[in-house]
Amino acid sequence: MKLRFALAATTAMAVMTGTASADTMKIGITQNNVGVDSYQTTYEKAFIAAAEANDAVEAVVLDAGGDVARQIAQMEDLIQQEVDAIIIWPTNGEAVIPAVRKAHQADIPVIVTNSNIAEPGFDFVASFSGPDNITQGSRSAEIMCDKFKEMGIEDEAQIVQISGQPGYTTAIERAKGFEDRLPEVCPNVTLMETQPGDWNREKSQQVMEAFLVKYDDIDGVYAGDDNMGVGALNAAKAAGRDGIIFVGATNFAVGYEAMAAGDYWGSIYQSPVDDAEAALQTALDVLNGKEVPFLNYFDTPKITQDNMDEFSKPVF
Amino acid sequence: MATLTKQQIGSILAKQGILIAFALFMIAFALGNPKFLTVDNLFSVVRSSAILGVMALGVTFVVISGNLDLSVGSMMSFSTIVVLDLHDKIGPFLAIPAMFLMTLALGGLIGFLVGYLKLNSLIVTLGMLSAIHGLTLTYSGGQNMDIADKEGTWFSVFGQGTALGIPVPILIFAGLAALLGLVLAKTPFGRKVYAVGGNGTAATFSGIRRARTVFTCYLMSAGCVATAGLIQASRSLGSQNTVGQGLELEVLAAVILGGASLLGGSGTVFKTVIGVLILGFIQNGLLLIGLQFYVQFVVTWVIIILAVWLDVAAKRGKLWSPIA
Repeated sequence: MKLRFALAATTAMAVMTGTASADTMKIGITQNNVGVDSYQTTYEKAFIAAAEANDAVEAVVLDAGGDVARQIAQMEDLIQQEVDAIIIWPTNGEAVIPAVRKAHQADIPVIVTNSNIAEPGFDFVASFSGPDNITQGSRSAEIMCDKFKEMGIEDEAQIVQISGQPGYTTAIERAKGFEDRLPEVCPNVTLMETQPGDWNREKSQQVMEAFLVKYDDIDGVYAGDDNMGVGALNAAKAAGRDGIIFVGATNFAVGYEAMAAGDYWGSIYQSPVDDAEAALQTALDVLNGKEVPFLNYFDTPKITQDNMDEFSKPVF
Repeated sequence: MATLTKQQIGSILAKQGILIAFALFMIAFALGNPKFLTVDNLFSVVRSSAILGVMALGVTFVVISGNLDLSVGSMMSFSTIVVLDLHDKIGPFLAIPAMFLMTLALGGLIGFLVGYLKLNSLIVTLGMLSAIHGLTLTYSGGQNMDIADKEGTWFSVFGQGTALGIPVPILIFAGLAALLGLVLAKTPFGRKVYAVGGNGTAATFSGIRRARTVFTCYLMSAGCVATAGLIQASRSLGSQNTVGQGLELEVLAAVILGGASLLGGSGTVFKTVIGVLILGFIQNGLLLIGLQFYVQFVVTWVIIILAVWLDVAAKRGKLWSPIA
C-alpha cells in the first residue's frame, strides 16, 4: 500500500500523481479539524492504519483545519487528481455542497463521514457513514428508564436535560431521540426542563447549579455528551445532592472514569476507530459496486456501570 | 440625618445609574422566582461569575488606559490547560507559579507590542486571540486535560473550597477587586492609567512614561487571567481546550456595562464588579424563570441595553435627550 500525506495540498499533489496502479483504489479524505480534539486525532490515526493495512488502497489524507474554504480547495484538488472516491468530514454542512456536487459531476463517488451534509446535497452523495445521533439519544432514554425501573421510581422520577450547542444538528438529534423514546419506555417520567450546556463542562455546571436551586427533586440528568454530564455531576456533588442518575449520549474518558467511581450511570459508546474504519469500508463497498444504504450507520452500543469492563476507556 | 436636596438626589442618581438598574433587575427576577434570592443561589451565581469577574478586573485597567484586550478568553484556556497538565507532571506547588509565569510572559508580549511598539491593541490582541488558541492546542495536542487523582489533591481548594462559609472563588474575586480598586483609585499608578487613557499626549508631556504604564496594565490583565484560569482549573479539575472561548466579549461587555469608556480615561473597578454581577444574574435569573433558551439570547441583549440606557439616563437626568 502506498500512503502520502499532503498538508499543502496543491504542492504535494504533483508528487503523487501517477503512483496509483490499475489494481489499487485511490481514496482521498478531507477531514474537518484534526488536532482540535482527541476524537478527530484518533480518527485520523485509525483511518491511516486501516488504509495501510489494506494493500488495495492508496490513501490521500488531508485536513481542512476547520476552514470551509480550505476544504473546498481540497475537494477540487482531489477531483483534479482523479481519485477513485472522496471521503469528506464536512466543516460545514451547507457550504461544502457545491464542491460535493462538482465531484459527483466528475463521476467520483463522495462518502460523507461522521456528520452529514445538509439535505439539498443528498443527491450528490453516495453514502453517509457515521453514528446515528437519534439512536444514541433514544438508547440513552432506555438506559435511564431501565435504571429507574431497577430503582422502582419509574412512575415518579423527574429529570432535566442539558443539551449541546443550540442550532447544531448533533445537539438537536440527540435531544430528539431522547425526548421521543422516553415516553415510549417510561411514560410517567417527567422531563422538567431542557437548557443548553454548549458542549462545555463549565457552562453545563452553571446550568445544573441553577437547576438544583430551582428543583428540589431531581432524579436524573440526561446530557448531550459526557463532558457536559460530568459538569452537571460536579455541580450536584458540590451541592451535596446524592442519588441523581447521570446519563450521557457519548462516552468520554471523564465519563468513563466517573462511571468507574460509581458517580455516573451510563452513556453511549462511540469509537473514533469504528467511525474511521466504517468510512473507509463504506468507500470500498461503493467502489466495489456493493449495495450500500444511503445512511450507513455504525453501531454505537450502550455502556453502563454494569457492562463497562467490556469496553476500553475512550481516548478522548 | 440632614434631608437631601433635590439636587443631591440628582447627583447620586447620576453617579449610580448602573446600581439602580442592577437593583431593579434583582427585584424583577426575585418576583419571577422566589428561589432567586436564596443564599445558596446568590452564592452560586457570584461563584460562577468570579471567573469572568477576575478577568474583567484586569481588562478594566487595559480599557481605562485606552486599549482593548480581546485575547483574555484564549489566554484563560491556555492557563487552565497548562496548570492542569503541569499539576500531574510537577505537582501543584510548582505548577501554579509556572503557569503564572507563562501567562505573564504572554501578557508581557502584548504589553510590549502595544505599549512600546505602539501597535493598535485591537489588531494585536485579536491576533493573539487565535495565536494563543493555537498555542494551547499545540501544547495539549488537542486532548482534554484532566487531573488523574481528582479526590486526592488539595488543588481543588481554589475553585471548590470554602473559608468562613464563603466559597473561595468569591473571596479571591472580592479580595482582588478591593486591592485593584485601591490601586486604581488611590495610587499614583492608578492616576497615570487614567491620564494615559484620557489624553495620552498630555500624559507624556506631564512626564508619565506612557509605554511603561500600558505595559503594566497588560501584565496586570495577564495576572488576572492566570488567576481566573487557576479558579477554572480547580473548579472542574479538567478542561477542554476551548474553555475560555468567547469570554473576551463577555468580559468586555461587563467592563463597558460598568461604565468604562471604550475610548479610555474613565471607569472604576467597583462599577466593573456591578457589570459582572448584572451579567451573571441575568443568566441565572432567566434560567430560573425557565425561559426557552433561544429566547434567552434576545432577552439578555434587551436587558443589557436597558441597563446601559438607565445608566445614561441617570447621568443626564432625563430618560431621553430631545436635542442631538
